[in-house]
Amino acid sequence: MPSDAREALLSVDHLSVSYGHVNAVKDVSLEVFPGEIVVLIGANGAGKTTLLESVLGINAPRSGSIVFAGRQIGGVAADHNVRAGLCLVPEGRGVFASMNVLDNLLLGAHNNMRNVQSSLRRVFEWFPILQKRRKQIARTLSGGERQMLAIGRALMSAPRLIMVDEPSLGLAPIVVNDILAILKKLNSEGYTILLSEQNANKALKCAHRGYVLETGSVALSGSAERLLTDPGVREAYLGA
Amino acid sequence: MQVFVAQLINGLSLGSIYVLLVTGFNLLLLVAMIIHFSYPQVVVFSMYIIWVVLQLTGNNLFLGIAAGVVSSICLNLLSAPLFQKVMRKRGEVDINSTMVLSLGIGMIITDVLSHTFNKGLPVAFPDQLASVTPLLRVGLISVQVGQVWSLGVGFVAVSAIFLILYRTRPGRAFRAIAEDPNGARLVGIPILRTGLASYALSGVLGGVTAVLLAMVLGSASPGLGEQVAHKVLAVSIIAGLGNLAGGLVVGLALGVLEAIVQGYISGTWSNAIAFVILLIVILARPRGLFGSKL
Amino acid sequence: MPLPLYYYLSITAVNILMSWALYLPYRVAHLHFLTVANMAISGYTAGYLVMSLHVPFGWALVVGFALGGLIGWAVSIFIGDAPTFAVVIVGFTFIFITRAVIQNLPAVGGPMGMFGLPNIGGSAASHRWIILGILYALVILVGWLIHRFDNSRLGRAASAVFVDADLAASLGINRKRLGMLLQTASCTIAGGTGVLYGFIYKSFHLDFFTFALVGFFMIVIFVGGYATQWGAAVAAPILYGVPLFFPPEIQSWRIVIYGALLILVLVLKPEGFITPRFVRSIETFLSGDRKKRNITLKEVV
Repeated sequence: MPSDAREALLSVDHLSVSYGHVNAVKDVSLEVFPGEIVVLIGANGAGKTTLLESVLGINAPRSGSIVFAGRQIGGVAADHNVRAGLCLVPEGRGVFASMNVLDNLLLGAHNNMRNVQSSLRRVFEWFPILQKRRKQIARTLSGGERQMLAIGRALMSAPRLIMVDEPSLGLAPIVVNDILAILKKLNSEGYTILLSEQNANKALKCAHRGYVLETGSVALSGSAERLLTDPGVREAYLGA
Repeated sequence: MQVFVAQLINGLSLGSIYVLLVTGFNLLLLVAMIIHFSYPQVVVFSMYIIWVVLQLTGNNLFLGIAAGVVSSICLNLLSAPLFQKVMRKRGEVDINSTMVLSLGIGMIITDVLSHTFNKGLPVAFPDQLASVTPLLRVGLISVQVGQVWSLGVGFVAVSAIFLILYRTRPGRAFRAIAEDPNGARLVGIPILRTGLASYALSGVLGGVTAVLLAMVLGSASPGLGEQVAHKVLAVSIIAGLGNLAGGLVVGLALGVLEAIVQGYISGTWSNAIAFVILLIVILARPRGLFGSKL
Repeated sequence: MPLPLYYYLSITAVNILMSWALYLPYRVAHLHFLTVANMAISGYTAGYLVMSLHVPFGWALVVGFALGGLIGWAVSIFIGDAPTFAVVIVGFTFIFITRAVIQNLPAVGGPMGMFGLPNIGGSAASHRWIILGILYALVILVGWLIHRFDNSRLGRAASAVFVDADLAASLGINRKRLGMLLQTASCTIAGGTGVLYGFIYKSFHLDFFTFALVGFFMIVIFVGGYATQWGAAVAAPILYGVPLFFPPEIQSWRIVIYGALLILVLVLKPEGFITPRFVRSIETFLSGDRKKRNITLKEVV
């Protein structure tokens, strides 16, 4: 259990975000402490993507606050937050299909060009396949390789918190295991990870804590083991 | 045969200018996400600025050219906030409004040119810039300085643009936004700043084009902007809006087509014929020959 | 009637008709500048018919409408559902070609134009009354037709296409047929109006049909409000009439003022001055609660 003395890396407090008249996120509060893997579980349309994108700085919140590394970032533009150490591996969208692997990675370092060579070396260490395919157009990569590219691209910005939106979407189960293993390994090297997942079983098994989102609000939260054994969660989200 | 070669050279040098204009237009479309119909009018305005500076400084070419490039960049950057304001539409980009705004800007530029500089009469550029004495003469074929410059600079400029796009940090950001503006934002690319950079780069291209036009045409008139604008827009539609490589091909092709028609048919009909051909292609393929971005 | 009043009334009618001709296709986001080319083509054709072939004016006018409609329809086969920028380019290209062809045709007077068209109805005075009569009869007719269209199923379909073309298509709206209908109607109006435009002055000249004219009509619908027909109807007389009171030095900058006005409206009031909400509030006021109206009047009186 995290002690109260530890300060949260990300602290979302009573956050509400709406698109026009649709309240996508309603009064959500959550915390992510350094070194954790935290999972957001919820069905399609539960507000997971909106929440992550609001933290990143794509949508301005209607009310509530977002504090990252001690600073208020509610309403701050995304590129500022990326420079401050926040990043998002978007759902299905982290990769520019018409550009090659190397260019995609270099885009990740857009706000961090000073260390680009060392970042690149590290990403290639993590993902040797990306080095092998660095001149290939991203469109020709397999689903798993694209996900690796998206994560590698996020790593290029030297992030303190990596947010991953539905990493398993569209991937074969074996590949999903690989990706989650990579995330676990990154976490063991010190990266803090906040990820959202529809299919909660595998995600909860890698995580420390989790939050359950239903129609924009937090329905349940707790340690990963507790959520794994909770009967309501089992029924709704831990299918096969 | 000689007429053909002569007109081919004419056509290629004019075509290079079309290519530069289409590239500037496409940059604004792809990265700033605007349709700037009157971008050629901005270029013609810069031509007038060059003329004014040349007059004021006793034909100092360096200052004249610098003034042209600077004025083009400034006009673009000044119009950027207007375009930005007009573009917003519930989270999406309202590109038709940018078109209407651009038409309004073009009207103003053309009318200002008709009223102020040289009392609306055409302006002629001095020999230092727009010399008509040929560099090289073989029979009917004469190659002028202006044509060599426009071919050369055109080639260098387009190569530079491709280099920028494919080998530099801002260029990568341009391509990312061109492919997926929302995805680019998610990756942390500053959309506003990068968009402004495209206004500036487009302005540099515009200034260079203004200089080349001055060299090749030797003169400018208030109506020049409209004439050139419609040809450039037709080129960009036929090539496919946003298609840089297509713009290269079609721009050169139009230049050559115009020159060949002019060489063999009397001048007054040549414009009409070029436009008829353009019209037929547009009607047959409203979305462009090589596929468009929109 | 004093000549300046005749010119103001007749040109205003032309402006209203042409702005409406532009308003219709813009209901589906098409800026249909082909209409100005229609004006020129039908106008010069009618002028030629009347002057050289001694065809009665009435028939020439009908030919003008029909020719406009035919060209509009033929072109709309290709661009009925094209993106807006393609429609704009087609329109501009047509204007260029038309001007170039007219310039080179001696039969229609070439660059000098056609003048000295005969008076309709025998005398100069009767000519003016007849022209005004036809023009305003047209204004009433076209206005009523547009009103019927806007309040019909097709009008609502057009609004849907304007807001979200793909969504409209998925609702079963045939974009191409709607676009063709609007473009053909708009070009028909433009053709007849072009004929009348020339006959106001009893001459035809290329300077009548320029890109500045295109710009003016566009500004009328954007400043007036492109979402209702009243925007154009109100803005046309005002935008044309007010500058007439300016001193000549300012009048020569008319186009710059129009352009600046367009930019201001786009930035500050993108829907124009007469918005659908405004029209509805006037409608409720006019047809509204008798009691409410009486109370308001009593309060005022």
